[in-house]
Amino acid sequence: MTTPLHDDIYQLVRGPIDIAALARHVRAPEDGATVTFDGFVRNQSHNRPTLYLDYEAYESMALAKMREIGAQLHEKYRIHRVAMVHRLGRLEIGETSVFIAVSAPHRAAAFDACRFAIDTLKRTVPIWKKEYFEDGAVWADGELPPAPAATSRAKPAS
Amino acid sequence: MAPVSQTVRVKVLFFGRLKELVGRAEDSIEIADAATVEQLFALYVARNSELGKYRSSLVASRNQEFAAWGTPLHSGDEVAFLPPVSGG
Repeated sequence: MTTPLHDDIYQLVRGPIDIAALARHVRAPEDGATVTFDGFVRNQSHNRPTLYLDYEAYESMALAKMREIGAQLHEKYRIHRVAMVHRLGRLEIGETSVFIAVSAPHRAAAFDACRFAIDTLKRTVPIWKKEYFEDGAVWADGELPPAPAATSRAKPAS
Repeated sequence: MAPVSQTVRVKVLFFGRLKELVGRAEDSIEIADAATVEQLFALYVARNSELGKYRSSLVASRNQEFAAWGTPLHSGDEVAFLPPVSGG
């Protein structure tokens, strides 16, 4: 089920992510803390110098999965707002590929929720990165999302 | 009972290395009604045996939800074959 949106932001973008604006967006007077995660492009991969990365996504499903993570955050933690943005396309060294901000009345929930959000995103959201090196390019090793084991029957209306 | 010969059209999406291997991101294909995700994948392996190597290291989705290999498919379904994800 979908959760009320709480003024959250879930986006896939093709240009630079305005991390300051997102961190500002989640802040509200009733909060006491914001925890942010800024994932950016590293200059090497397994000791090979990286030239740049190229991200692609199954966009409709990726957004749906990001919203699902947000709904889980609101269920599991006493948080206020969430901003979760992933960038697609070509990214240079040092550019932000993913940014997550979580606000809460108290810091512990914000820390826990932000950690859960990035860990779950990396495991379940259909986004892929290709790493470009001097001598070629490879699809990054990834994680296989958990798939249902048995044939899923039509869900009964609940 | 529906005749066994009834076919339906489904949309198929490939991502990452699978897209490169198949040579296209998107396809539309006719299959028997209620054929499974597994059977659909087998059709592509029959065209390109290299794909078979990836069977154990990919997951499938049906209509933007992760789906088991035994999931039956129906007209208009959107199926995607997804390599291990590497966002972040």
